Formats: sequence, structure tokens, C-alpha cells
Amino acid sequence: MTDQLVRTAPPTDPEAGAKRTAKRRRLRLTGLVILGWVAMFALWEYGSWWFGSRLLPRPLEVFQAGVEIVESGNFVTDFSASVLKTFAGFAVAAAVGAPIGYLMGRYNYWRAFFHDGVTIAGTIPAIVYAVMSLIAFGLSNLGPILAVALVSAPYIALNVAEGIRGVDKSLVTMSEAFGRTPQQIRREVLVPTIVPFVFAAIRMCFAVAWKVEALTEVFGGRNGVGFQIRTEYQLYDIAAVLAWMFLFIVFMLIIERLVLAKSEARLLAWRPQERSSAL
Amino acid sequence: MAVLTIKNLAKTFNVGTPRASRVLDDISFDVRGGTFVSIVGPSGCGKSTLLNIISGVEEHTSGDISLTSDSGGPARMGYVFQDPRLLPWRSVMKNMMYVQNDRSEATVGRCRKYLEMVGLTKNADFFPGQLSGGMQQRVGIARAFAVEPDLLLMDEPFSHLDAITARGLRAQLQDIWAQSKKTVVFVTHDVVEAVELSDRIIVLQPGGRIFEDITIDLPRPRRQTDPTVATLQAEVLGRLETMKAMARTPEAVA
Amino acid sequence: MSTTMTPVKARRSTSEKEKATPAWQKTLTSDRAARVAALLSFFLFWVVISALFARVPGPVEVVQRLVDEFSRGEVFGNFGSTLYRFGVGVALATVVGIAVGVIMGLSQLGRAFFESPVLVALSIPAIIWSFLTVMWFGFGDLSPIITTFLTSVPFVIVNVAQGVRGVSRDLRDMSTTYKVPLSRRIKDLVLPAVTGYVAAGIRFAIIIGWNGVLLAEWFGGGGGVGYRARWWYDANRFGGFAAWVVLFVGFIVLLDRFVLDRVIQRAFRWRDASA
Ligand SMILES: Nc1ncnc2c1ncn2[C@@H]1O[C@H](COP(=O)(O)OP(=O)(O)O)[C@@H](O)[C@H]1O
Ligand SMILES: [Mg+2]
Repeated sequence: MTDQLVRTAPPTDPEAGAKRTAKRRRLRLTGLVILGWVAMFALWEYGSWWFGSRLLPRPLEVFQAGVEIVESGNFVTDFSASVLKTFAGFAVAAAVGAPIGYLMGRYNYWRAFFHDGVTIAGTIPAIVYAVMSLIAFGLSNLGPILAVALVSAPYIALNVAEGIRGVDKSLVTMSEAFGRTPQQIRREVLVPTIVPFVFAAIRMCFAVAWKVEALTEVFGGRNGVGFQIRTEYQLYDIAAVLAWMFLFIVFMLIIERLVLAKSEARLLAWRPQERSSAL
Repeated sequence: MAVLTIKNLAKTFNVGTPRASRVLDDISFDVRGGTFVSIVGPSGCGKSTLLNIISGVEEHTSGDISLTSDSGGPARMGYVFQDPRLLPWRSVMKNMMYVQNDRSEATVGRCRKYLEMVGLTKNADFFPGQLSGGMQQRVGIARAFAVEPDLLLMDEPFSHLDAITARGLRAQLQDIWAQSKKTVVFVTHDVVEAVELSDRIIVLQPGGRIFEDITIDLPRPRRQTDPTVATLQAEVLGRLETMKAMARTPEAVA
Repeated sequence: MSTTMTPVKARRSTSEKEKATPAWQKTLTSDRAARVAALLSFFLFWVVISALFARVPGPVEVVQRLVDEFSRGEVFGNFGSTLYRFGVGVALATVVGIAVGVIMGLSQLGRAFFESPVLVALSIPAIIWSFLTVMWFGFGDLSPIITTFLTSVPFVIVNVAQGVRGVSRDLRDMSTTYKVPLSRRIKDLVLPAVTGYVAAGIRFAIIIGWNGVLLAEWFGGGGGVGYRARWWYDANRFGGFAAWVVLFVGFIVLLDRFVLDRVIQRAFRWRDASA
């Protein structure tokens, strides 16, 4: 017991050792992240050597094609067209999905009414929605919007329903005891509870939504990124196909970070600090 | 004048199913305006259920219950729960305002006044997650008083707190009550606490009947160190022991 | 004390309310009635839409096409090859996904290495994979299999990694203080905690994988559900396309309901019990 108490700290900076280990550890992690990227490009180079660069263009060729697209400047119209259609589809999905989710979470009758349909709608592959939207609207901008809406609405509905059912019952009881009206309870208790769930749904959907949007344009769009991808594919210019795709991916990741993450952080400021980050 | 009148009230959970259980059985009493009434009984005897029925959160199975307000308008109720029950996404002040009917200057001022009484003026803009358990409970108490209720319900508000914090809050509650003279129905399983705070104690027995109705006629403010308070506490505790003994021999309770 | 005594809440007890509700009202609001109502509304919706849009096939036409396809013997062969391609692709994705996911969940170094490749793989659309694989491997089974694998494997990885990392630190600490041997720790702690996530990941992979296999078949020429659906689509006879959608969705629903749901429920039993 005593010799534990007597044990003295090292004379120099007591944390120096720990700091050094932490630094080495960070360096090793960064190294591995870089190694991950290197491995990816190595695999790609190997693939283009194996298949020939006509079937799988080399990274450099794709990069050059990308530079060409950016320099020509005509990507702006296609990008904005695709992004606008994605967000329009999202708006439709939220306008339809959120009320359905609310009903499902709040009332047993509507849960029984919607449950099967919504879960089935959530498992139907995106290609089915894409073609169905084309059949309904032909070659128009409405097709991609409908496809995005069809793919996203079930997720939003299910997430909102789950959020509503997870509402802290004791807060509802408290509000009733103080004579709050149903509207007040909805605005002050239910909505704040489901906001995180809606964001989870939107972020999950967003990754799927823009792909479906592009897919629908590949099948039958007159503008947008998917339209460009199909055009280049028909010309067998695979480098351009990949360039369009990567540009769009980067663009969408930026939008996600800028728009979604920012507004989420603002709306959820009340949450206590998370101790560990997920994923 | 009676603020609250309860007649032959009964409550059965899961009516008409095999799991049906009678929690309250033929309860009748009334509460006069401006008095502090405690409801005491062992845990599980239906105290919270009774409060929930009075507040209108829970429905009763049969019997009559009526509330009157001497302002003429609808009876306002305040409720202090066992847990704080604050909206985690609203600041302390917004939580206070949430249960108010209007946003007038007077109302804001009243909220500030009660927040000051519980010593939380500095924390008005904090989120509940940034307060300790005792501070959150104080916000709950201030919130209930700030609606200027005709009837204030409290359900074991101090039972989740450590003994020292609880004693401090009890003293604070006595002071606030002495200034505001609200009608209070206070639920507790702690006889000592009940004697210290109330004008009258209604003892519930398991099975949900009233065992005894005791009037406490002691001068205020009461402090636990006062020998007369301690004597009365011992006496009421003794009667509760009698109740438990009688409960063990059936048919003894009329 | 004022004299105006207003009884405010003349509240009705439950026994009074019960008497006031008629029986027909109870039947109409039951769960079964709700489900029937949902089916009826869906059908009505379909009929109305097909009447409004000339291009949308109605129920009668779809049933006719279904009968056609069955009588021509196109159904089982095409369904079989799609199922085979899909099954191989998803099985591969499961095996590879669990392996990589466990590595990513257990070691911080493994996560650092795989993080970026998985992120990139998650964001590449299935359509690109199907374009590429059709060019690389031609019209055989290989291109749909690879597309299915490539589109679904990142989802399995992410779910498994999350499950492994989510094994509660408190429980791990508890096991350490009681010196629970490693083998028992894996068997009683890690595996039960992770199986649910693996199942959920596979389910998601399956939904994503269907999309991949159908796309590759659509752009390939080697038969299968996607190929057949495209045939009808190109012929501008949307009834045939809808018939295949009905068949296919019906199959997915049955699989989901009777196989996957059960498996997942078993795997997550412990969680629902405590909730
Ligand atoms: N919603 C409910 N459904 C069924 N039984 C309940 C419900 N709420 C309370 N009870 C039962 O009623 C009895 C009284 O509960 P309660 O009023 O909470 O007791 P306490 O006096 O400790 O506050 C308990 O036996 C409890 O199990
Ligand atoms: Mg209680």
C-alpha cells in the first residue's frame, strides 16, 4: 500500500511518454488511410491493365476527362438540373411520407392500414421505380422526381413512425396535466422528438436518392448527369462516363456536408455532447 | 369551500381482461381551498394513480370527481412529478413558459419570480441536460407554482433526491407555500415528510381504500428539530404500523 | 372565497364512455378492417391511375400478360437464372462483408485502411457497375453476379463493423474485471451482440442486390427477369413489364416476410425483450 503512495513521478514532463505514443499512433493511422487510397488506385491501375484501357480507363485518363468537362463549363446546367430534381423529389417524399409516418406512429388504425404497403414499397428495387416513373411520365423532368419520391417516401414514413412511437410518454402526460392543447403537444414534444429521426431518414435516403435520380435519367432523361452518362456510354467513352460519375459523387458529398450536416447541427443543439462518435 | 370533491371513485386497470386489477376502491374525500393535504401509503397502493385521475391524465372507471375554481374560469392545475419531466430541447425559461396560457409580460415576470424563489435565476437559459437532478426538480416545482394553479398536485417530488438536497427543497417548498397559500395534494410514502408539510394526512391502504384521515394542527414553520413535530411523527407512524398489522389479519378493516 | 362555483371538469368515467360506443364502430376500427381498407384503396388507386394515364396498364391487362408469360413457359427459366446469379452474388458479399466488417470493427488500424475504399464503394451507383461488368464479362452469368456483389458488399461491411464496435464497452469492462476467458467472451458477448447487425446488413444488401442483378440483366443479354422485363418495355407493351414487376415484388415480399423477418427477429430477441 505505502510504496504505491510513495512512488514518485518522473522528474521531466510526466505526460511526455504518453504524448509520444499518441503522436506515433496518429501518424500510423494517417499512414493507413493513405495506404487505403493507394491500394484503391493500384487495384484500378491493375484492372485497366488487365481489361485494357478501353474497357476500364486508367485513373489519369478519367482525371483528364473530368478536367475537360469542368473546363468546358457545361456541367453546371446538368448538375443543377440533377440536384434540383433530387431535391424536388425529396420535397414530395417528405410531404407525403412524414404525415403517413405521423399517422402510423400515433394511431393503431393507421399503423395497420399503412404498415404492409410501406414496408413492401421500401423493398422494391430502385430500377422498378425508375422504369415505372418513365412509363407514367415519358421523357420529362417529372420522371426522375417521381422516382426519387417513390424511393424515399417509405424510409421517411418508417423513420417518422418509429420516432413518434419512441416519444417520451411521461412528457406527453406532463403536458396533458398542465392542460396543453394537442397542437402545443405536437409542436413542443412530438416534433422535436422526431427531428433526429427525420434527419437520419433524410441522410440515409440522400445517398440512395441521387443515384435513383441519375438512374432514371440514364433510362430516359433529356438533361442532367444521368443523361450525360448515357450519351457518353453510347459513344463508348468510358473515361467520360466515370468522370461524370466521380464529379457527381464529389458534388453530392459536398452538398450533404454543407446543407444537411449544417442544418442538423443547428436543430439539434440541445443534445448533450455525444461521448463516442458512431462509425 | 371545497376545491376538489371525490365521491365513490374506483379505478380498475385492464377492465374486462384476465389481467384486470382493482387499484382504487370506493374513495371519497374533499379538499378545502388553501390547505395542504398529504396522501400517504405504502408503495403500490394507488397514490400515483389517484393523482393522475385528479389531473385528468388517467380515466377513472366509476364514481364522480369534480373540481371547482374560485376564479370562475376553468380550474388550473399544477403537477410536480417524481421525475423532473422537462423538455430536453427547451431552455429552463422556455420550459416554464411552455405550460403558461399566455406570453404576457406579467406571465414572464411570474416565471422569473418563482425561478428566483428556487434559486435558479442564473440558469434560466440552460438546457435541462446541463442541470443536476436537484436543480431540474426545482425547475419542476417552480413551473408548477408559476401557473398559479387552483390545485397543485405533487407526486413524491423529493424521493429521487439525496437526503440533504431533499431537506433543503422541503424547507423551500414550505416557504413558497406559506407565501402563495395554494391548495396542495401531496403524495408521499414518507410519513415524516407528510407530518412536516401538511395540514391533513389521508392514509391509503393496500387495495386502495382510505384507512384514516388525520388532521395535523401544528404551528408553522415546522422544522424537523422541533420536538412536538417529532412526537406527532412518531404517533402517526405508530398508527400506520397498526394498519399493516390489521392488513395481515383480513376482515379486520371495515 | 367567491361564490361562483363552476364545476369545470365534469369528467365521464370509462364505464360511462364504454356504454356510449356502438358495436359497429368497434368493428370498423379494428386492425383487420384497416388492412382490408388499405388493400381496397390500393386497388382503387391503381384502377384510377390506369384510367387517367393511357400508358399505365390496368389490373386486367396485367393479369392477362401474366397468364401469357406462364403459358409461354418464360417464367421459371428466367426466374431461375436471376435467382442463381443473385444468390451467388449475395453469398459472396456476405462472406467478404463479414470478414472485412469484423476487421474494421475490432481494430482501429483496420478501420483506417478500409474506411476510404468502403466510402467510395458505397457511393458508386449500381448502374455504373452494370455498364462496366457487361463490357468486361459479356452477356453471361458473371456480369450480374459481380454487379450484385459489388453493389451490396459495402452495406454488409458497414453494418457488421457497426455491430462489432457497438459491443458495449461497459460489458467488455465487466468481463475484464471478472476475468472471463476470451472464448466465452466471444461466444456469450460478441456473437450475440453482432448477429442482429449482420442479419440487418444482409437484409439491406439483399434489397440493394436485387437492384444490381436486375440492372445488369437489363443491359446484358443473357436472359433473366431484368432481360425479360426490358423486352416488354422495348416492345412498348407496359402490361408485360408490370406483370414481371408483380411477380418479382411478390417473390421479394414472400422472401422478406417468411425468411428474413424470422431470422432477424430471432437474432434481435434479446433486444426486444428488454425494450
Ligand atoms: N397502466 C397500468 N396498468 C396496469 N396496472 C397499473 C398501471 N399503472 C399502475 N398500475 C398498478 O396500480 C397499482 C398502483 O400503482 P401506483 O398508483 O403507481 O402506486 P403508488 O402508490 O406507488 O404510486 C400498482 O399495483 C401498479 O402495478
Ligand atoms: Mg407512485
